Amino acid sequence: MSKLVALNPLHHRHLKVDTKKVEEYGADLHMIPVGVNEFAKIVAQFPILFTKNAQTGQFNCIALTGFEEGENLFWQNAQFDSVYIPLSVMRQPFFVGQDEQSGQDYVMCINELSSVLSKTEGEALFDENGQATPFLAQAQECLAQLVSGEQQTFDYIQMLNDLKLLVPLSLEFTFIDEQSRKIQGLYSIDEDKLKQLDGKTLEKLNSSGSLQLMYTQIASLAQIYVLLNKKNQKLGEVDPWFSAAAE
Amino acid sequence: MMSNQAINSVVIVGGGTAGWITAGRIAAEHQHNPSIEVTLIESPDISPIGVGEGTWPTMRTTLLKLGISESDFINQCDGSFKQGAKFAKWVTGEDDDFYYHPLVLPQGFHKTNLAKYWHEQHQKSGKSFSELVCYQEAICEQGLAPKTIRHGEFDALANYAYHLDSAKFSAFLQQHCTEKLGVKHVLANVESITSHDNNDIASVITKEAGEIFGDLFVDCTGFSALLIGKHYDVEFVPCDDVLFIDTALAVQVPYELDDSPIASHTISTAQDAGWIWDIGLQHRRGVGHVFSSRHTSKERAYEQLGKYVGEGFEQLQLREIPIKSGHRKIFWKNNCVAVGLSAGFLEPLEASALVLVELSAQLIAEQLPACRQVMDVVANRFNQTFDYRWQRIIDFLKLHYMLSKRTDNAFWVDNRNPDTIPNSLQELMTLWQYHPPADHDFSSNNEVFPAASYQYVLYGMGFVTENLTHAVCDRDHNLALQQFQLNQQAISKASRLLPSNRELINKIRQYGLQSV
Repeated sequence: MSKLVALNPLHHRHLKVDTKKVEEYGADLHMIPVGVNEFAKIVAQFPILFTKNAQTGQFNCIALTGFEEGENLFWQNAQFDSVYIPLSVMRQPFFVGQDEQSGQDYVMCINELSSVLSKTEGEALFDENGQATPFLAQAQECLAQLVSGEQQTFDYIQMLNDLKLLVPLSLEFTFIDEQSRKIQGLYSIDEDKLKQLDGKTLEKLNSSGSLQLMYTQIASLAQIYVLLNKKNQKLGEVDPWFSAAAE
Repeated sequence: MMSNQAINSVVIVGGGTAGWITAGRIAAEHQHNPSIEVTLIESPDISPIGVGEGTWPTMRTTLLKLGISESDFINQCDGSFKQGAKFAKWVTGEDDDFYYHPLVLPQGFHKTNLAKYWHEQHQKSGKSFSELVCYQEAICEQGLAPKTIRHGEFDALANYAYHLDSAKFSAFLQQHCTEKLGVKHVLANVESITSHDNNDIASVITKEAGEIFGDLFVDCTGFSALLIGKHYDVEFVPCDDVLFIDTALAVQVPYELDDSPIASHTISTAQDAGWIWDIGLQHRRGVGHVFSSRHTSKERAYEQLGKYVGEGFEQLQLREIPIKSGHRKIFWKNNCVAVGLSAGFLEPLEASALVLVELSAQLIAEQLPACRQVMDVVANRFNQTFDYRWQRIIDFLKLHYMLSKRTDNAFWVDNRNPDTIPNSLQELMTLWQYHPPADHDFSSNNEVFPAASYQYVLYGMGFVTENLTHAVCDRDHNLALQQFQLNQQAISKASRLLPSNRELINKIRQYGLQSV
């Protein structure tokens, strides 16, 4: 549930954010949207892929965290077990919106129904004088990064589209429980086409930084095996007594 | 003309969809060969007939070959998705009388022939053949699209073709062919033709652009058949003794609301002495009544069309198009090949006009003779191939008429007269009394309608194949039962996943489809 309203020092002065709960937003996501400005950190743990928005068909960049809906293999012992957690999770409960009254772009909004909000626990948003706390300033910085990342990611995807460098990635696994799963709807960089680009195009991609992003993404594919390992570990520990019956 | 002279210059006479598809296919196929030059001469004074507004799934391949983006095509040609045809009132004429000829093969078509088993399923469930063996009828009845916004261009859950605005499609192709594929566009009226000693066409002389030479000429001049008819006088073979339709009355019907549903199939509703087509585009429907003037009057046909369209009909601009059913005896003579209406015309019952253009353009583009010496070989092949294709299409159209049980007009009764049924079709009908149509009945590489199409029409119209000859083995029977079940699952899945045709088209207009 969400109800987004513009953040207001008067209205929201008693609100606190229970930071321990923020990570819970990612608990059941098997794909988490990420921006190109996060790639360098994301690549340390997650495969970075593309998927299409169900409503618009447009490509998004995502970190893959599980193999089926509702499964985040990094969610272990009630925490997001990762050295880096994507901005789209850490930004909770804040959003960027447009203020309808002033027509101003980029107004900081808060989801008043968010489960991380509390009157008693956590970090205050405003001090007694109605001034933003360092915590809120940090949250603002996080949103600013998200917004700039969104635009950069949009441009990056458009470039990949124009050069026809996106290719469907069909993953088929047999997990430790002998079950096969086919995962569709994921896209990656077409390495063969990338290799065939002419020098002039490559030079342009290099100077814009896109080339590095592409190779970061290609390198991140190796993380699929780490994810697979996590999945098998999870399946292995489900039931030490029984094994699955042969089909 | 020297016999080993290379064929470099292709001149297409006539614009319209036939001209531009042919020009585009040849130019695209040979775009890396700088010596091949494609010129299209179009009269500034004659507007195209623009009959073909329904395509086959082949159009997806054609657009791909031309290097056209599907999103651009949908946006600029008023395009929508078509998943086959619904034939209403063709069997008994009652309100609940309909069947589908979808674009998806019967479930498990390459594993087993469900036509052998469908009747027992029908007796249990009362469901029709196409409902039992194919999930597409259910999609169409719900007005759903064949794909979602997450499918890439030309990719889909269910096989599909298009409905399109013919005039917009011509203009769109013209722009693409001239800007992207290097086709030279000359606006001029052809006034005379000069010949070589061997009777090949050397050049066409135009009023506005002088003399234009060529090695190969393509006649896309429509009904006037300037080159193949007027110049070469190639015989026209009528088939009005088999197919009686000779006139069309067409209107363009606006939607009631901007967001009115768009049918995702062509609807063909039988009338006294003909039938009415109904094609849903984005901004309007194309509706027309084709009829046999030997069996009804134009006034009566007009009245029935008005009744079908309903309110506002009188205000619509009516177009009358003569339908002279038949085709040229040969299509390629000397260095001239006819494509489109100049080659022949049939009623649009199975949208055969554009697909014949595509197939012709494909053959010319892919087998473009290297030099004059080999042209006659390619020409012979073309003539044999297309004569065969025209015969098969005529047979298949006739099938729709001969299986009708209607008696309300002599039109239907006459259509069942054995004298009007080609021998080739009679022979197949004899076979199908005891064997359901199978791929081995259609063994040519040049087949247009596969066995599955015959199954959909035969069993959709209540034809019964006696199941008495060969005992069926349990294993095959069980496999068939499994396929019937899989089809029911496919219906549930498709119904759950697919958006409405209108919803998807709105999204494509807003976001476009991705190329992958």
